Amino acid sequence: MVDALRRALGMLTLDGIVVDVHPTAAASAIEVEAEITGYVEACDAPLRHAAAGAALAAVVGQGLFAIDQAVEFTFYTYGDTIEELRNYVQENWNDARLDDATVSRTRDALRRSRGARPRSRERVVVTTLRRGRA
Amino acid sequence: MAIEEDPEGHELRALDTVVSFASRRVLEIGCGDGRLTLRYADKAASVIAIDPDAEAVAALAAERLPNVEVRQVGAEGVDLPPHSVDIVLFAWSL
Repeated sequence: MVDALRRALGMLTLDGIVVDVHPTAAASAIEVEAEITGYVEACDAPLRHAAAGAALAAVVGQGLFAIDQAVEFTFYTYGDTIEELRNYVQENWNDARLDDATVSRTRDALRRSRGARPRSRERVVVTTLRRGRA
Repeated sequence: MAIEEDPEGHELRALDTVVSFASRRVLEIGCGDGRLTLRYADKAASVIAIDPDAEAVAALAAERLPNVEVRQVGAEGVDLPPHSVDIVLFAWSL
């Protein structure tokens, strides 16, 4: 990751910026409207997210980049059914799964909230970095 | 309707608060199938979108965006001239 940032520095114009978008280490929730019905079990996600943050900290510490701005936002992924959302998460996220209890609670919540769609909620951070003094 | 990612547009709004793509030359690392690329490319001067996933980059290439060049390559394989892009965007890929 640090290597990728170093390579980016070489390709950037002198006043260019790096923009990094990655999820935070916060657990991803499964929701029906505002009701949390469970969390995605993602074995290595917190570690990967922490590693991305550490890479940014490393290049800033080395003086290659300086952090310009950082903002967090919420990223929702919707499925038509909880089964569809579970399959999507398990096929597209690394080592992630939804347990049966979460699926069951989501089904119950959907029965109470007609017309609602199940969704995952991730907290994501956007960070911009400018060329440092090194 | 199937799977729908960020229909509220929170991601692009957050990006818009910290960076302007207008008339910029962008290198996007980890473009995948272009979910994010498709949302900002019309503002940029040019986009080089890279990802090692053949199926994903084929999906983005099929969009035939006039200012987007799609390459099937990872971050370690991209080779651009020095100082040739204004923005390097790591799209959920760092």
